[in-house]
Amino acid sequence: MQTRKDTDTTLNQEKAGSPKYWQSLEQWRQDPEFIKMAEKEFVSSPLSSDEGKDGWARREFLKLMGASLALTSFGCIRRPAQKIVPYAKRPEEIVPGIANYYSSSFVDGDEVFGLIVKTREGRPIKVDGNPDFPLNKGAVSARAVSHILSLYDPDRLTTPKKNLLNKERTNRDTVSVTYEDLDKAVVEALNAGKVGVLSKPVTGPSGRALLNEFKNKFKTTNYYFNDHTQGVEEKAQQEAYGSAVTPRYEIDKADFILSLGADFLGAHQSSTAYTKQFSSRRSPGEDMNKLTVVESLLSLTGSNADERYTVAPGEELNFVMALIYSLSQSGQARINSQVKDIATQFKAFYGQHKEAVDSVVSDLVKAKGKSLVLTGGLNTQHEQALQLHLAVQYLNNVLGNDGKTVKYRNTRTGSWGEVDSLSQLAKDIESGKIETLIVNDVNVVYQLSSDHPLQSAIRGLKNVVYVGDRIDETGQVAHYVIPVDHPLETWNDHEPFDGLYMIQQPTIRPLYDSRSFEQSMIQWMTLDGATPRYAGDESLWFEYVQNYWKSNITRGSFDKAWTEVLQNGYYDSSASARDNNLPSRNFNESALRGIKPVSSKESLVLYKTIGLRDGNLANVAWLQEFPDPVTKICWDNYLVVSPKYAESQKLKQGQMVEIKVAGKQVTVPVHVQPGVHEKAVGLAVGYGRSAAGKVADGVGVNAFKLAKFDGKEMIAAGLDYELKATKQSVPLASVQDHHSMEGRQIVVEATLDQFMKKPSSGIHKHKVFSMWSKHKYPGHKWAMTIDLSKCTGCSACMISCQSENNIPVVGKKYILQGREMHWIRVDRYYTGEPENPGVVYQPIACMHCDNAPCETVCPVIATSHTDEGLNQMTYNRCVGTRYCANNCPYKVRRFNWFDYTEIRKPTEMALNPEVTVRARGVMEKCTFCYHKIRGAKEQAKQDGRTLVDGDVKTACQEACPADAIVFGDMNDPDSKISKSLGNDRTYGLIEEVNAQPNLKFLSKIRNTKKLKNDHAGNSGGHH
Amino acid sequence: MIKRQQLVLGNKSLKDVTDDICSLIERMPGQKFLAVFSAALVLFWFYLFVQGSIVVKGMGLMGINNPVGWGTDIVTFVFWVGIGHAGTLISAVLFLFRQKWRTSIARTAEAMTVFAVMTAGLFPLLHTGRPWLAYWLLPYPNQRGPLWVNFRSPLLWDVFAVSTYATVSIVFWYIGMVPDLAAVRDRAKNKIRKLAYGALSLGWRGTAKQWNHFEMTYMLLAGLATPLVLSVHSIVSFDFAVANLPGWHTTIFPPYFVAGAIFSGFGMVVTLMVIFREVVPVFKDYITMDHMENMNKVIMTTGLLVGYAYGAEFFIAWYSGSPYEQFAFINRAVGPYWWSYWTMIICNVFIPQIFWFKSMRRNIKVMFVVSIFVNIGMWFERFVITVTSLHRDFIPSSWGMFEFTFYDYGAIFGSFGMFFTLFLLYTRVLPAISICEVKPVLNVGREESHDKAH
Repeated sequence: MQTRKDTDTTLNQEKAGSPKYWQSLEQWRQDPEFIKMAEKEFVSSPLSSDEGKDGWARREFLKLMGASLALTSFGCIRRPAQKIVPYAKRPEEIVPGIANYYSSSFVDGDEVFGLIVKTREGRPIKVDGNPDFPLNKGAVSARAVSHILSLYDPDRLTTPKKNLLNKERTNRDTVSVTYEDLDKAVVEALNAGKVGVLSKPVTGPSGRALLNEFKNKFKTTNYYFNDHTQGVEEKAQQEAYGSAVTPRYEIDKADFILSLGADFLGAHQSSTAYTKQFSSRRSPGEDMNKLTVVESLLSLTGSNADERYTVAPGEELNFVMALIYSLSQSGQARINSQVKDIATQFKAFYGQHKEAVDSVVSDLVKAKGKSLVLTGGLNTQHEQALQLHLAVQYLNNVLGNDGKTVKYRNTRTGSWGEVDSLSQLAKDIESGKIETLIVNDVNVVYQLSSDHPLQSAIRGLKNVVYVGDRIDETGQVAHYVIPVDHPLETWNDHEPFDGLYMIQQPTIRPLYDSRSFEQSMIQWMTLDGATPRYAGDESLWFEYVQNYWKSNITRGSFDKAWTEVLQNGYYDSSASARDNNLPSRNFNESALRGIKPVSSKESLVLYKTIGLRDGNLANVAWLQEFPDPVTKICWDNYLVVSPKYAESQKLKQGQMVEIKVAGKQVTVPVHVQPGVHEKAVGLAVGYGRSAAGKVADGVGVNAFKLAKFDGKEMIAAGLDYELKATKQSVPLASVQDHHSMEGRQIVVEATLDQFMKKPSSGIHKHKVFSMWSKHKYPGHKWAMTIDLSKCTGCSACMISCQSENNIPVVGKKYILQGREMHWIRVDRYYTGEPENPGVVYQPIACMHCDNAPCETVCPVIATSHTDEGLNQMTYNRCVGTRYCANNCPYKVRRFNWFDYTEIRKPTEMALNPEVTVRARGVMEKCTFCYHKIRGAKEQAKQDGRTLVDGDVKTACQEACPADAIVFGDMNDPDSKISKSLGNDRTYGLIEEVNAQPNLKFLSKIRNTKKLKNDHAGNSGGHH
Repeated sequence: MIKRQQLVLGNKSLKDVTDDICSLIERMPGQKFLAVFSAALVLFWFYLFVQGSIVVKGMGLMGINNPVGWGTDIVTFVFWVGIGHAGTLISAVLFLFRQKWRTSIARTAEAMTVFAVMTAGLFPLLHTGRPWLAYWLLPYPNQRGPLWVNFRSPLLWDVFAVSTYATVSIVFWYIGMVPDLAAVRDRAKNKIRKLAYGALSLGWRGTAKQWNHFEMTYMLLAGLATPLVLSVHSIVSFDFAVANLPGWHTTIFPPYFVAGAIFSGFGMVVTLMVIFREVVPVFKDYITMDHMENMNKVIMTTGLLVGYAYGAEFFIAWYSGSPYEQFAFINRAVGPYWWSYWTMIICNVFIPQIFWFKSMRRNIKVMFVVSIFVNIGMWFERFVITVTSLHRDFIPSSWGMFEFTFYDYGAIFGSFGMFFTLFLLYTRVLPAISICEVKPVLNVGREESHDKAH
């Protein structure tokens, strides 16, 4: 090729006359296009103009993986544009077509997951729970599954950036910067002193050690932020017992659980582990637990309650104190006279709610020492949150739960943040103590109310370095933004409980030019001449973690121990210690002084949803299209109001209202929600992101904005508000429009007493007969049962299925048109009166009917039956008449209305290669994870054995935290599924149609005296 | 003896008949015609654009969704197939019953059938997710196994029924036209016409033997076409009746659909004939008020039949004891789509009752309005059956609503563009009234004409 110099000469000659030699007519004519091209060295530049746009295409994936071990030099920039590398030398461990599984972990706010990450050809494609890990025990939440999609988020930051900020700190321009320059600038700032580090909770021992070294080296002040309720529980413990622990609640050891607004099955703390524990006690019988919930909004936990009472926001405190009052009056628990006096203030409240309080008291007393009272979460973060926690802990104490269901040793360790850490930081900035702030992955600008002093303080800082995966709301006010590795790209460790260590293995080499916060710290320390204690010769974070474990955690031969840890994913040195009962502690009653009745008033409650929580994963489309289990609405947040309130204010579903709290205002649509207290209105946080990416930006409003800063902390509940209805309204994207069972036998419900008398209580069996003899299934026959007593409706199954089966996301517009694609859906029905209805959930996937109505009507035999009882779709045969969907009594079939295969790069890497990506115009539906059945069969064949029960687990079953889903071969009489099918509670949905479904349900048993009736008729048989 | 009403008015001679009927083919169309034709053509192009967009982008452009998998396309398909029925009934069944009054309207009624079936036939093809693979619905030897179609699927029966119907109708229509085409050929004054009509008339010479064969063939074809009148819509109704959906799964559907089809077909024939009579005044002598009155009687009768079917459905729903069935019907009448149900009832059952009065039966304006209502009502009947049954079935959680989009309207109205384009072309290209069948029913040489001549 001609070099630039040559071209220049020719062009110069051209000016003088005609060129001596010319290569093309364009050159001879001096075509401007040609000149432009000739001046360029390459026809297509290896350095694309925008790094983010097609950065991925250039870094061909296989090449990266194949060369990942060898490729250590970064010096070569001029890589040819689209070179492909043959897979001649395949890296060890990777066999095309065979999945590898790695144990890893994921920290989601308060929740810690042990994970098994499935990788194919070196790319992680699915996240499942680590079945051995003592916390989640194999279960995952919808959010944990979505973790995989956040890795491939197209809006992730790819290179370090520098924000050129203007005076007002509204971003002026963003330029790329090299790590060299960035590190130089940061080290300079660090050396100048007055440095603060604001970090998300540092949950691992290695991370804590490193941060400590960093703190000592640069004399930094460290602040931690987890969420707005942080530290309240610990402070209550401190005041009551003298030590600030975060207690461990042993839900599975409690016969009776009373939750005061704590959404422990939904968005509160380790809800997945809690669900696992809770559901382990939901099999009806003597051992069944009982859950009573007192709350103002309707939470997922409330919807699962056996008994539920509603109170005005903040009145949870009144309720606890009324309980204490009742106990003190009856003498059923030893109540100190000092407390008695405090409780007497609640006599009036007790009088108004005598029936409810007495009923709860009798349950509590019956289960003394085996009960558990819980509170907490954003929706209880009102001004008396601390008192509420104190009262709850007092109740646990006098009932003898302390040390038994409330464990105070081997609890959460680490730096999780204190009540006022952010206001302290703001003060320190204002007083000039901090000039440089390093923010580690905490989106404070988004999560703080607009009147929080840190909002302005952070904008006045000299240097702000933001470590995050995108230039989000906080990244926009930072001078430097360092792209951080996704947790699946980097090493780390965590210590959820004292003595329970877990390792976070990377499962892929960083996709972009990102660097973990820990690596950055090591880099800055070494640049300044220091040697971090555990960092090895290469000064790598990986070495640091390994060396830390070598010196502090593992015993014996390190290589062996380390391999074991990597395989298991965790190292547990406190298992038995955690299991032991502990002696009850002495409660310092004087801490309860100052508790006063909360007046019942109309107020706003901010709450977290199970899908989005604090909004950090908002740009994951799966979670945006994840229907809230209770409201069934996705792609929006909305003002939750009670039917009564809506009636009195003349509000309609979807009507836009202006909500004003202390001068701050948002405009949101109304959602009329049965079961909400008439004095409460609620708004979910996590929405209204402005710089999260293409998916999340502009979805809903930021409710954090409305929180109140009381000088120390953020108040999120019991907020005074003004409401102004507007004339506009917007449709809310609900995946379920009808909420009554219409008296049909859909979810069968019975009380525990009824069950004890007659296990099949409530199930009306229909006589069905057939002219034909049944088909024979000589080999396997697959079937599934879902235990509605255990299912909490958390909907983790939906997202697990979505991830496993490459299910597309369609967006709000098409959800509104009824085009959701989820293969398994979770139906929710109300029974009883709208003030406080009963709520039931029912996950529905393809029933794989023996007499499948879909099969007979397909004109081209695109859907057919296997000899193992599966109803299968042949996608490439389908012409898309949709007759099958019309004829499906369960409406589980999903049609590809458009071409959903165009996926933004690099999200297509999250696709599971074992499952076909469906073309436009074909029908699809649940396959009972047929590819997994095939895989298990092949494995069994290789191992020279027959398939055994438990070899095949469907994606929904694997994720289910409640263990409600059983799947297996019903021809095997010893299998779990055979036993489950033989259960007296098992029934088929609308059996009278005689489709012979192979997905059956186990009736829902509530541990209560009386059921709430389906107001369209009785919920039992319907004749 | 009661004198029969004359079937052709105006004391036509045989030549007059040929002249009158051929006049439309032989003169250049006027501005009015061109205006109407261009309007139809534009609507047709619009239709092509709408259907083209759906083929390119996907079925998602239409209003159908998860509970309601069939919408406008299937509704309009059944509507057009139903329209087709009157043509075959008039041309074949009435022929076999020796109903001589049918002669002057049979040709056009059957043309309507052919065009309606053509219009209808596109819908099931285009409503599929992948229309380019719709040929997989045909059983033909192939290299995919061979992979055959599912003979248990009513949709497949539908393919056979509609394609058979279309074939037989076209053949019957064309064969009946052969002597007339020869007449046009014989009158042709330029070469191209002569050649074109010559080819179309299949060498017709009018010999006695040819007439003999012709009449025999025509009779046989009429015999073949007659069962199709019953079978096509019965089979179309199986699409619904064989499914297990409450509101579809009913045994009354085949006769109910056939009655409805004849009802809507006659409605459409009346609409077209009224327009025809207005646009070509000379045709008033052939398509007389008696014809119109006869057709109105059929409309009233079949209107009562469908009315009975509507009532019987409710009775059976109640009598079956099936709560799903009962709900489906109550939901039709008082559910969110009550307006479509009551539109159907008013248009199909109540409005045609006006034909009890002879003056109304013979009033052109009234019958035109009624026939339009019948067409609207019958479209809504299919909408009620398809959409309201689907939108709320067994499991309340999956209940949903169907909402029309631009493309739904485009498909409905655009299909009229296709139909009218074809129909208008037909009126200027082919003899719109059967010359050879009208001539034998003339009074030429009969007593009555003698009386008048005196």
